[in-house]
Amino acid sequence: MNGAVPTTIIVVGLALAGYALLTTARNRRVGLGLLIVIGLLEILLLVLVGLIAARLAGGGRPASMVMLVGYLIAMPLVPVVAGFWGAMERSRWGPAVYAVAGLAAAVLMVRLHEIWAVIHV
Amino acid sequence: MSEPGASPETAASSETAASPESTAPPESTKTGPGRLLVAVYGLFALSACARAGTQIATEFSRAPVAYVLSAFAGVVYIIATVTLVNGGRTARRIAVLSCSVELAGVLAVGTWSVLDPASFPDATVWSTYGVGYGFVPLVLPVFGLLWLRRWSARAKTGRTVAVSTGNAVGAAHDGEDGSRAGTPTVDSRRGSGL
Repeated sequence: MNGAVPTTIIVVGLALAGYALLTTARNRRVGLGLLIVIGLLEILLLVLVGLIAARLAGGGRPASMVMLVGYLIAMPLVPVVAGFWGAMERSRWGPAVYAVAGLAAAVLMVRLHEIWAVIHV
Repeated sequence: MSEPGASPETAASSETAASPESTAPPESTKTGPGRLLVAVYGLFALSACARAGTQIATEFSRAPVAYVLSAFAGVVYIIATVTLVNGGRTARRIAVLSCSVELAGVLAVGTWSVLDPASFPDATVWSTYGVGYGFVPLVLPVFGLLWLRRWSARAKTGRTVAVSTGNAVGAAHDGEDGSRAGTPTVDSRRGSGL
């Protein structure tokens, strides 16, 4: 696997964080633009889960299988939970939740690379 | 921007200047800035517990002190998350307690890990004051306690006192409301004079 998907996730995650913080600074609530970006992040994370599952099926084994499975479950949940939690808020603090989700996705990619270096970042 | 806009208003007409601030009171501990706090606490509860759980299950003997402390931190984060979402009077007391324990924990474990690194062959959430997590574990309980203090002050003594004590968190918001409400205030004063 080349590192295209994890790298794209980091870029989209950081872009989401920047866009969301700008929205918070402008005192706006969650709008369509933020929903589209967090949706894109979710799709990319699901693609990555699929790629890792394919690699596991192909016989690859990480150093810590338990941790990798934990990441595979937790990663796609982050944008979904944050998406609903932030959209429920009718103030500038909703986008701030989206910023946390974007940063978390980027950090998860770095940690994932530490668990299984075969996924190049 | 907020001070020059607000200062002439307060002397002339206090009741018109105070009215826009009542438009955005937080309804509970989980709305407004609390929304962000709950999100970050939830994230840390998940990551600390998952990390401690897998480490205790797979390699407990390697760094027992670190893993037990990580698990303890995870439990404290869960309690803080749940009580902030609940937001009742008892829940807020427990939240204050858990934030205080968290602050004491990150300071104590941070200092311990700096002075005696041999006890920590593997890092915890609170090692070196949470450096591995961007020092968020150090900042989070401070914001949690500030938020809870502001919110309980509002509930106890009413809106007017709480607005003055809570200006650190809501300064930008209040300032924008004040500047926006500036034009109609002048009009209303003119109207009452005529």
